[in-house]
Amino acid sequence: MAKERGERRGSSSKGEGRGFRRRGLGRRKVCRFCADKTMQIDYKDTRALGSFLSERGKIMPSRITGNCARHQRRLTVAIKRARTVALLPYSTSYP
Amino acid sequence: MADRRYETLVLIHPEQGEQGAKEFTNRIRSLIEEQKGTIGQIQEWGLRDLAFLVAKQRRAFYVLFEYRATPAALAEVERNLRLADSVLRFVSVRQAENAPPTPDRTARRPEPEETDTSLEAGDIDALGEEM
Repeated sequence: MAKERGERRGSSSKGEGRGFRRRGLGRRKVCRFCADKTMQIDYKDTRALGSFLSERGKIMPSRITGNCARHQRRLTVAIKRARTVALLPYSTSYP
Repeated sequence: MADRRYETLVLIHPEQGEQGAKEFTNRIRSLIEEQKGTIGQIQEWGLRDLAFLVAKQRRAFYVLFEYRATPAALAEVERNLRLADSVLRFVSVRQAENAPPTPDRTARRPEPEETDTSLEAGDIDALGEEM
């Protein structure tokens, strides 16, 4: 499969100028904040922000959450603000 | 100078006690008014668990101030917060003029014991499956 694809790309790359192919057949993710306009990004809302943290307390990449760039930027700022006032963890230590 | 909408979230040392936290809140309130600011609302979230240790403390009193003030007044408020020993941390944010006021209990939870678990785990499981 991989080999096949490589060959195809090699032979047709000249004239086509096509972008990246979407890998896998997963559901197209839409930004949750774009889908629901009433959803506000607020650094005080730990419940909402918490869903964008990994178990370790890291910020989830938009590649996984499907957030658009604009909302991802606002989200990271909000999470970082929440961290300065200890509403959210910087990291969670495991035993 | 034009005044702007700000909000400041302050963490007060738990040793101050309920009473001390109230007094401190009033001090900040009068300070903002002294600086010709107008208070929008003050939310006391009470003693809340911290996500991590701050100054060797597990919990702190959270107080949220919403007010209008000039940038110079904000600087003065922040200077006082920095000097106060009973303040663990604070964060000030400029709010949009048309933003709705913070609803009560945004970050507050009915049971303080619940705070710990919800902070650690999050709703990540649902997200992981989509990968």
